[in-house]
Amino acid sequence: MSALAPKFKLSEFIKSILDNAFWILFIVSLIGLPLIQILLFYIEMPIIDGELLTPFLAMTWLADPTRSLPILKAFMATDMFRVMAFPGFGFAALIAAATIFVERKMLAKLQLRVGPFYCGKIEGILQLAGDGLKLISKEIIIPAKADKPIFWAAPVIFVATAAAFVALIPVAPGWVVADVDLGLLGVFAVIGFFPIITILSAWSANSKFPFIGGIRALFQMVSFEIPLILSLLGVVILTGTLNLSEIAASQSSFPWIVFLPVGAIVFFITMLAELERIPFDLPEAESEIVAGWLTEFSGMMYGLVQLGTYLKLYAFAGLFVVLFLGGWNGPMVVPPFPEELLTGVEMGPLTVGPFPGLPLFDQEMLNGTLWFVLKTVGVIFFILLPRGVFPRIRIDMLLSLGWTKLIGLAFVNIFIALGLLYAGVLGPGGLQ
Amino acid sequence: MADAAFLALTVITIGSAIAALELRSLIYGSIALMGTLGGIAGFFFLLDAPFVALFQLAVYVGSIAVLILFTVMLVKRELIFKKIEDKRRKFAGIGLMMVVMVALGAVFLDSGIKTITTDEPPVDFRDIGTDFVTYYWPALILMGLILAGSVTGALVLAKREDVENDQRTN
Repeated sequence: MSALAPKFKLSEFIKSILDNAFWILFIVSLIGLPLIQILLFYIEMPIIDGELLTPFLAMTWLADPTRSLPILKAFMATDMFRVMAFPGFGFAALIAAATIFVERKMLAKLQLRVGPFYCGKIEGILQLAGDGLKLISKEIIIPAKADKPIFWAAPVIFVATAAAFVALIPVAPGWVVADVDLGLLGVFAVIGFFPIITILSAWSANSKFPFIGGIRALFQMVSFEIPLILSLLGVVILTGTLNLSEIAASQSSFPWIVFLPVGAIVFFITMLAELERIPFDLPEAESEIVAGWLTEFSGMMYGLVQLGTYLKLYAFAGLFVVLFLGGWNGPMVVPPFPEELLTGVEMGPLTVGPFPGLPLFDQEMLNGTLWFVLKTVGVIFFILLPRGVFPRIRIDMLLSLGWTKLIGLAFVNIFIALGLLYAGVLGPGGLQ
Repeated sequence: MADAAFLALTVITIGSAIAALELRSLIYGSIALMGTLGGIAGFFFLLDAPFVALFQLAVYVGSIAVLILFTVMLVKRELIFKKIEDKRRKFAGIGLMMVVMVALGAVFLDSGIKTITTDEPPVDFRDIGTDFVTYYWPALILMGLILAGSVTGALVLAKREDVENDQRTN
């Protein structure tokens, strides 16, 4: 029994809900419905196909799939749908949420714990929703001497930058929010914003632990950006384009990881560092500096930063898939769609159907999305895995790893790509 | 549409440049400087040069601004700067800037640059690359040597041997 409502009784709870429902219905039928009818009296309704469009007719149309499905399909072709739902924010946030849950559960299993268990009866499946509700309802505490404008803005800008990164990742042929010619350069530009946001939010909290974490994050991100950019140049040399969709399409016969394994390994390690994952989680080292640069965030501000972090994780995993694992390419496993989903049914006076198959998504797109998601989930799994296995490394080891070994390996990768290009094996004049 | 974007970018660029000079807080000043550099990137987008614009974002906003922020944060402002509130110097500076701007503007207007057509397609970065390896190859070689030298120097600096002690055994 919770402390907030010690005299909680289920019967009274149900009664209060029924009471509310009664009063809402009462008020709507006495005031709302007459109001709507008065409004409809003044609004001139259009005449479509010789019929006056009454509200009843509009409702009938919405219930008819032959009419509502094209409307839905037209909506899905808009930019708003792309930004908000499918290859954009909604899709990425869904994967991010699943990642958080899988990470907690998998980490628990790796350490012989149980993990989230009680919330939602089945293996704690509702834990995430509960955490979200908790974060929203918590008070946002701002440190008294914090620099308030920057402190407020930092989580929002962090999520916005992560979403801009997500917008550049192509999910299926033609399904990308921003299909820019210089997509990879755009990725580099977006990645460059993260250290600024981190250090600004860390400074603005005016507290020791966030500042130490922010300085560490700055060191780490700036020094690992260079091998990150260099390790991707091999792919650019071989494909001759910076457009991420074209890079993904160029791997229809084999993924680039076959020819550029060194670049893929360097990119994966730098990815771990950019994402502040173990073994490179020095900016958030919870056993040394509380929570690093996140220490002073509370409530939904912390939630936003967390959301941004996992959006960034998805975007990096998607980038790895697009550049090295062949993107959406894979054997066709989705069956073709039938012309009609259901033939017509006659029941006395009623005639229903035939319902058109009208695939909302075409076969190629579904197949591409399936392969992309499978590969991305695999990469995310390998990003999560070190957290249960490795300890944290020292900052000087981290920096020497980034500045000496990884940059050297990235150059080796570039020379492999150049060798393949000049030997005529691959590239713009080769196998492709 | 382009005019509205141009005006907005102008306001952002010049406004944040003034803010960068005038703000007393160094952190806010460097944020305003980021706004200026980002506004210039926006101008490059308007001029159909997305390649340059993205490099402006990645290098100037992404790296140079971080460098400035980092330096500002590790420095106590009161220790190295003395406040000199001098109205006459300020107005002299503004006047000098106006003179320079008017002179430059007169030169630009006089050079007939306003007759350039603006509906050209954006420059393909492949063309830039082709130009670099054909006509401008000496410049490319020179840049490559300088960059290789600086990267080697950075590696040598990062691999300092003199700080080794007993506790730092990798």
